[in-house]
Amino acid sequence: MRSLQRFLIVAAGLVLLALPVQAGPSPREQVQQTIDQVLEVLRNKAITGQPRRETLTRLIRARFDFTIMSQRTLGKYWKEASAQEQARFVALFSDLLEASYIGRIEAYSDETVSYLAERVEGDMAEVDTTIRSGNIDIPINYRLVLEHGQWFVYDVIIEEVSLIKNYRNSYGEIVRKEGYAGLFVRMEEKIRELRAAPGKQGKG
Amino acid sequence: MTFARILLCLMLLAALLPVARPSLAAGGEASVPSGPTAGLERDWTTLPDDEQELEVWDPLEPFNRSMFWFNDKLYVYALKPVARGYRAITPEPVRESVGNFFKNLKAPVSVVNSMLQGKVINTLDEFTMFLVNSTLGLGGLFDLQDEHGRRPTPEDFGQTLGHYGTPPGFYLVLPVIGSSNSRDVVGLVADSLTAPVSSPIHGKLQPVEVAGLKAYDTVNGLSLDKDTYEAIKRENLDPYLFVRNAYMQQRQARVDK
Repeated sequence: MRSLQRFLIVAAGLVLLALPVQAGPSPREQVQQTIDQVLEVLRNKAITGQPRRETLTRLIRARFDFTIMSQRTLGKYWKEASAQEQARFVALFSDLLEASYIGRIEAYSDETVSYLAERVEGDMAEVDTTIRSGNIDIPINYRLVLEHGQWFVYDVIIEEVSLIKNYRNSYGEIVRKEGYAGLFVRMEEKIRELRAAPGKQGKG
Repeated sequence: MTFARILLCLMLLAALLPVARPSLAAGGEASVPSGPTAGLERDWTTLPDDEQELEVWDPLEPFNRSMFWFNDKLYVYALKPVARGYRAITPEPVRESVGNFFKNLKAPVSVVNSMLQGKVINTLDEFTMFLVNSTLGLGGLFDLQDEHGRRPTPEDFGQTLGHYGTPPGFYLVLPVIGSSNSRDVVGLVADSLTAPVSSPIHGKLQPVEVAGLKAYDTVNGLSLDKDTYEAIKRENLDPYLFVRNAYMQQRQARVDK
């Protein structure tokens, strides 16, 4: 009787020990949550134009860490930059990413997203998804980092191409050739361009 | 009994601690006003993963850039308008079937290269798919394994060379075909020998006819595409660098698979 009791207590303790591992939200759940919210906004025909864009921006900014993305993009050049240049870059880079992708996101309509495997290693994770567009599946993986109990995206891998590594390559080359001044001018121009002609996407 | 209760309390405590820790940390840093990164000490400028970052070797950049320019014009003024007209007069299911047909024609190349790399399961998958689609799928017009999810990864001779250690060499932009590198050019030539369309082994087709089929495949593919290239061109500071890096990354990933 006593040994059964002890066994039960130990078992209960073990169960409790195991719990905290699953207590926090999983990276996949959090990615799915954000994507579902975005899709919901897109399907809601009542919200359009500027308010819709603002809602989308808020949702995306809450799940992506633009500071880490900026550090990853500049790589070794980040350390050489002054604090001012770093701050300027983060601001421009966030605006540029947003101006680029919001139009594309808004073009989504009947696409469906499948959430596949997730791999967690300490405070880093990768979540595999595919987005089905027409009869093609496009694999999109999200790389995330855990910060204060929330998972934040710091890289997106589309069809095996890491966006941040791609940016790192081009931005590095521009910084090397034209310095920060040149890079900032180019980024500002691009943001202006993208905002002036918002993404006319879709089947065109 | 009391011992058991103490034990239980200890276990509870131990169990709760890992939960408490993140919130403690969060509370401790709550005074830091800036964004979500405030609590992170990791050096994000280099991750272990970056060790294998590929350096793109592009000694022919001026030539490549002019080819990139040429292909851009070809796309904008020839291929895309044709694709748009074709799309207007051809229903989507037909275009999808044409796409399936061309994809199925590429399967033999993939089977051969899977085999060359010793990828047994992929070879069998690819071979089965080719047989099923060529027969029940009416010569490849219907992709019957589409619903099953597990898709064999296409292999080509460039990947086979990479698999056995050949480095990608230098980046090369080919007229019409687009991104490539010195290794994959060799692959393209080798694969054209095993591809049913262009192979001289059962070659009943004239080079002009082969080119015509390739052009049709391209136009058909473009008619199903959602302006991917336009978006890349519009969004990037230097589209040439974006395409170059994307190609090299993707090829590396496919070789590593």
